Amino acid sequence: MNHVLNITTTNTPAVVERLLQVTRYRGYELAGLQLTPRSDANSLNITLTVSGDKPIHLLTSQLHKLYDVQQLELVSAELAVLSA
Amino acid sequence: MKGAELVLQVLQQHGVDTIFGYPGGAIMPIYDALYQSNVKHYLCRHEQGGAFSAIGYARASGKVGVCMATSGPGATNLITSLADAMLDSVPVVAITGQVSQAVMGSDAFQEIDVLGLSLAVTKHSFMVRSVDELAATLHEAFAIAKSGRPGPVLVDIPKDVQLAEIAYHREPATAAKAAAIYTSLANAGKARALIAAAKKPMAYIGGGVHMAGAMTQLQQFLAANPMPSVTTLKGMGSVAKDNAHYLGMLGMHGTQAANLAVQQCDLLICLGARFDDRVTGNLQKFAPHARVIHVDIDPAEINKVRFADAALLGDMKQILPAISAGTDCAEWLSHCAQLKQQHGWRYDHPGERIYAPLMLKQLSERMPDNSVVCCDVGQHQMWVAQHMRFSSPRNHLSSGGLGTMGFGLPAAIGAKLARPQDTVITVSGDGSFMMNVQELATIKRFRLPVKIVIVDNQRLGMVKQWQQLFFNERYSETDLSDNPDFVALAAAFAIPGHCITRKDEVESALEAMFTWPGPYLLHVCIDDKDNVWPLVPPGAANEEMITEAKA
Repeated sequence: MNHVLNITTTNTPAVVERLLQVTRYRGYELAGLQLTPRSDANSLNITLTVSGDKPIHLLTSQLHKLYDVQQLELVSAELAVLSA
Repeated sequence: MKGAELVLQVLQQHGVDTIFGYPGGAIMPIYDALYQSNVKHYLCRHEQGGAFSAIGYARASGKVGVCMATSGPGATNLITSLADAMLDSVPVVAITGQVSQAVMGSDAFQEIDVLGLSLAVTKHSFMVRSVDELAATLHEAFAIAKSGRPGPVLVDIPKDVQLAEIAYHREPATAAKAAAIYTSLANAGKARALIAAAKKPMAYIGGGVHMAGAMTQLQQFLAANPMPSVTTLKGMGSVAKDNAHYLGMLGMHGTQAANLAVQQCDLLICLGARFDDRVTGNLQKFAPHARVIHVDIDPAEINKVRFADAALLGDMKQILPAISAGTDCAEWLSHCAQLKQQHGWRYDHPGERIYAPLMLKQLSERMPDNSVVCCDVGQHQMWVAQHMRFSSPRNHLSSGGLGTMGFGLPAAIGAKLARPQDTVITVSGDGSFMMNVQELATIKRFRLPVKIVIVDNQRLGMVKQWQQLFFNERYSETDLSDNPDFVALAAAFAIPGHCITRKDEVESALEAMFTWPGPYLLHVCIDDKDNVWPLVPPGAANEEMITEAKA
């Protein structure tokens, strides 16, 4: 199952590593990553696509705790076969 | 003023008067500033020890613990202790020196990517790029460390930032955004209905209750809603000693009464705990008849391992009164009292040799009120949890989540400095003690009257116990019968000591230890065949305990 997360973060040096570290440690695989600085350059828009069999709330609740995460929205859940 | 001086100014602004650390090249400007500072620095003899002392200080006092190290190896030596603070939710601020920004990224001498290393072991971490950000970053670090679910925060400060000049304007510490605690009582009605309807309610109490400052509310809740209670390792001391319905610790080495009652209950009220695997045993078989109320400050713990029928997030102090409904479960209370009676500890161990559970019970009865006991990890740690009683979780410092050997001695140093008026005792094992034995030098230097009790079975006892039970008695690398002479070792650090081997020596030895005004080491030799019982074997449900009689 693929899950797409729209995340707004502060634009700090390790923020992407933090997202990826939590994703890996909590048992999800990275399926896509897009990153765009917002116009003020102080924050980033990140689209994180992950796959995993576990309920996605186990990941989103941990990502929410990252200090640099300002907003997090679970956009969609789609079957990997359909998105392939 | 230099950045280095600013660091100390901000620390003082947060009320920090005690820090633990070890100097080195990349943090020399801060150590130079310390030379004339009112902040008292305690030199540890290994950065891991210094950070454990900061943890002991924080856990014994409820304040934020602060430790410092240089770049490279100094910082990497902190990692284990930061992981310990992370898993036990201890508020710690760690400050590390970093090489100058001009050479960062060039594999400079003593350069390592500390920010990268910190990701898995801290609540948050910062690299300070400019002296202009320094004060605000440090304020933020304190705010994060103690807000919500507490945890360790690392601030990496390059040497050039420490040396840079800045005009100092004292900023209010409140400028940092401290995450407000959002408390949701939306499910309070549901929780009250569950409590009112329960025939067999059970309170399962973790470290989160005392960390929320909700000890009073807990006693009131248990008085208004009489029910049996159990605690985790970190929650020990949460339930008042005169509460007759308290059943002890639950889990792998919990009491039989606690485990049996939790397995039978129809409502489990989890307060500031997280269904750790050492608590639940086989998760699928854990408290199989129970509906669950889960109260925590961390939303990520709700439904992480066990579904909550009613979850309440936020401030325990507000939530406990809001879920009080009154209970009517006299039959259940008497059943649990019977379990407690039936499965009480026995101390009639045959023979002359010292029986550690009895010795620890004697220690518990003899130690002054409000003593702090710092454990290491292994068999002695579980015996302490089983056979000693505490009046507050701040008096029982044990490495819970990470299970870090080497925790006890440095944690005791921190606890003694946090609470100089209270007796501080380290109970260690012969394996664990050697893991941070260098901190005896810290005790010597500052003449810290820490009492050290080494429970010595000449083995890595807990691993040996598992080898005996689950690995066909193949005792791989657990024989420590060539241990050093611990009393002679203590003497090398000007710490007097005494060795005992017989039961009838225990009382007088404890008396001598407590009477001696300074630090003291009591070496207690026990039989290597003594094991920790009961034990829930891996994969089993908590009612399937192996007891000494069955083993």
